[in-house]
Order: sequence, then structure tokens, then C-alpha cells
Amino acid sequence: MTESVRQMGALMRKEFLLEWRQRYALNGMLLYIVSAVFVCYLSFSARRGQLTPIVWNALFWIILLFTAINAIAKSFVQERAGRQLYYYTLASPQQIVLSKILYNTVLMLALAFLGFGVYAFVLGNPVKDVPLYLVALVLGAIGFSVSLTLVSGIASKAENPSTLMAVLSFPTILPLLLELLKISKNALDGLDRSVSWKEVGTVLAIDVIVLVLSLLLFPFLWRS
Amino acid sequence: MQRTPFFKSSLLALLLLSQQVMAQQPVTSGVEMADQLRADGKIWVVVAVIAAIFAGIVVYLIRLDRQIGKLEKEVNEKKSENSLRF
Amino acid sequence: MKNIWWKVLAVVIMTYVIFWGLLGPVPRQPILNESIRNVSFHVPLWFAMIILLVTSVIYSVRYLRKGRMDDDLIAVEFANTAILFGVLGCLTGAIWANFTWGDPWPNDPKLNSVAVGMLMYMAYLILRGSFDDEQRRARISAVYNIFVFAVFIPLIFILPRMTDSLHPGNGGNPAFGKYDMDNNLRMVLYPGVIGLTLIGVWITQLRVRLRRVKVAMDE
Repeated sequence: MTESVRQMGALMRKEFLLEWRQRYALNGMLLYIVSAVFVCYLSFSARRGQLTPIVWNALFWIILLFTAINAIAKSFVQERAGRQLYYYTLASPQQIVLSKILYNTVLMLALAFLGFGVYAFVLGNPVKDVPLYLVALVLGAIGFSVSLTLVSGIASKAENPSTLMAVLSFPTILPLLLELLKISKNALDGLDRSVSWKEVGTVLAIDVIVLVLSLLLFPFLWRS
Repeated sequence: MQRTPFFKSSLLALLLLSQQVMAQQPVTSGVEMADQLRADGKIWVVVAVIAAIFAGIVVYLIRLDRQIGKLEKEVNEKKSENSLRF
Repeated sequence: MKNIWWKVLAVVIMTYVIFWGLLGPVPRQPILNESIRNVSFHVPLWFAMIILLVTSVIYSVRYLRKGRMDDDLIAVEFANTAILFGVLGCLTGAIWANFTWGDPWPNDPKLNSVAVGMLMYMAYLILRGSFDDEQRRARISAVYNIFVFAVFIPLIFILPRMTDSLHPGNGGNPAFGKYDMDNNLRMVLYPGVIGLTLIGVWITQLRVRLRRVKVAMDE
């Protein structure tokens, strides 16, 4: 047990190191979300606080969704076959997928909070219950990274991964996105928190289902 | 096909049964239904059309089934020939 | 044509459903009026689709465990037939909704979930198209099939129940059997489910056999 935890720690460290070495990719993701927010701001040519809450909310989550797909798509696509073979001899597939998921979660959390900050800065912040909105962000980051990691693993095995990544992930992420939209809308309107517990529960349940599936199914992907 | 008599008799039984039940349908609750259509017997036109469509689909499926069956036989024979030769 | 009995059964049951669904007694409901008869034709499509999808997933799991190409072939064909039924269900639902709810595509959670589900399975077919190597295609699409099914089931059964929906059984509406189902309707609905499922299995079986013949010809 402790052994496998240590191995996972090593794998995580390798992910961060790799990312740090290729800083342009990380910076690219950060710039991606900032410029996406700015493009939206300009194309609505909205001054602060002019978007209705529904549009404000939906727009933010769509930006986040695209960022997530772009960020997570590269977690498997970028790695070369030789290096994958090398991991194969080192660690079990479960450890690899868990470390990828954890790494992607951290990445998504950073992107989501940065995105929220910039978005609220340029387009105004109508959120009445900020802590609940942040909870929605955290849940979203976890959910996106868990389900997109598996999809990215699937897509990376096919011929043209980038298109396939979008096609495969949009429908599968939609249930999660709908629930998140509901929670964040409740937070936006400052509704009583007891209203949102049911949705929070559903999101957590979906996360757990997808996580368990990833652990079960990833070994089959890895072998090919 | 060998199953037609059974098929026909079951259909006949159904027709007879449905006539009886339709006569007993209650008209009390005041919700408008197509009672006149039923009374005129025009509903049979609809039933006949749909049944014809379904029959057509079934005939098509059966023909397809047979053709594939023939293909399967041919392929199996060829296979056994090949295995004899080698 | 060996083992023909279940095909006969399918035809007999479906004939019964067509006749009895149109002619048998139905409950009198305001708004729905005579269109309640659609219950015996539209609803079984969905039940049959779910049953076919479950079968497809079972074969995918079997492929992953045993690695026989034949299982993969069966899994795809079941998914294909299920997609056919799903599209038909969407079409018939749109026609019915246009008359009773006044809109062919009302913004209803169940409809949207099903549309998303269809998208997922289309993506499954696209994924299959993008591989050259057969073994690889089989393994990875089996993984995706299982994954999609696990997302699809909560999408279609749990989420619509939590929001307001026009469909019975959702969003606090009483489920089937409470107000617009009665025993007369059930007598047609359940046979309809069995009959359509059998028809679906028949179509699937034909396509599977055709594919097997093709595979044998290639060898």
C-alpha cells in the first residue's frame, strides 16, 4: 500500500516536472482561457454587469469546458509511444491513470480559478453566493478531469485524436455540465444552500461512477 | 410457410374479440374520443394500412433471413472443401 | 432457418399489439384523447432500445474478458439496432408531442437527455470508423461502449426525474400506473416491449450473420 502510494507520488512528480519543463504549454493554457474570456467580453461588447445572469453563467461554463478539453486532450496525446512503454514496465495502469487524473484535477483547478477571476474582473461579478460558486468550480474541475482523462486516453489511440476528443467528450460530459450549471445558477441567484444539495450529490455520484469506470477500464486501453 | 394456418386463426380470434370489446366501450366520462370513427368502422382502414406495412416489413425480413442462410451454407461448403484439399 | 420459433413469436406478438393497440379499450384522458394509443407503439421503442443497449454492453464486457472478435461484432450490431430504435423513438415522440404538447421538440429534460444519448452512440460509431487495426478498434470501442452506457443510464433515468418534465414519472409527476395507465393499456404495452425487442434481436441477428459471412469470405 505505502509502496504504491510512493510510486504514485513519483508519477505525479514526473507529471509536474514535465509540465514545468515545457512551460510554454502551461502558459499556453493560461493564455487560452484569458483570451477566450476576453474574446467573449469583446464580442458581447457588454459593459460590466450587462449580461443577464443566465447568459453570464452559461458563457463561463462553456469557456471552461473548451479550456478543459484542450488542456486534458494533451495528457495522453502528447506522450510518445516509447515513453508509454517505459511506464508500462514501471507502474500498474491504475496508478498511471490515478496520477494523471490527480494531475489534471490540479491543472483544472488552477485554470478554473484563474478563469473565474478574469471573467469576474472584465464582465462583472453578479454572483450572490460566492463560496457555493467556488464549490461548483471545484466539483466541476474534478468531474471534468476525471471523465476527460478517460476520453483522452480513448481518443489518443485513434487516428486523428483532436477531432475525436471533442466528438467523444461533448456528449459524455453533458450530464455533469447540466448539473453544474444548475448549482452555479443557484449560487448566482443566492438561493438557500439546501436547494443545491441534491445537485451536489448527483455531481459527486457521477464523479465516483466515472472514477471507478476509469480504474476498471483503463488497463484495457493501456495494453493496446 | 408452414406456420400460416396458426397465424391466420390467431388473427381471426383477435378480430372477433376486438369487435366484442369495442361494443362495450363506456362513453360515460365525457372526454371526447373518436367514437364516431369506431362506430363507422373506419378504424379498420387504419388498422389495415398499418398491418399491411408491418406485413411488408416481416416479408422483407424473412426473405433477407433466407438469403443470408443460403450464403452461410455456401461459405460453409467452401470451407469444408478447402479443409479437405489441404 | 433453424430456431424459428422466436421469430414467429415476434410476428404474432407485434400483430397482436398493432390490432389491440388500435382497437382495444383505452382510458379516456383529457388532452390526450385518442392519442393515448401511442403509448402502445412509442413507449415500447424506448424499452426495446434500452434492452438492446444492455445486451450490447454485455457483449462488450465479454469481449474485454475473453477477446473473441465475434463478441465485438455482436456488440456493434446491437448498438446499431438500438440507435435505429432510438431515432424512431425520437421521430414518433416528436409527432406525438406536436399534437399533445403543441411543439415537436418541447424543452423537456427527457427529450434532451435522449438526444444527448443518441449523440454519444453516434460518437461511438465515429470512433469505430477511425481505426484501421481490427483488434485495437474492438478493444477501444468496447471500452467506450461501457463508459457511454454508464453515463447514459443516469442521464436518462435519474436526471429527468429531478427536474420538471412533461413526461409522466418525472419531476414529481406520478409515474406510469398512477393516472394514465390502466390494465387495458398494460395488456398491450408489455407485449409490445417483448415483441419489439424480439424484432430488434432478429434484425441484429441478420446483420451479425451477414458480417460473419463477409468475414468468412475475406479469409
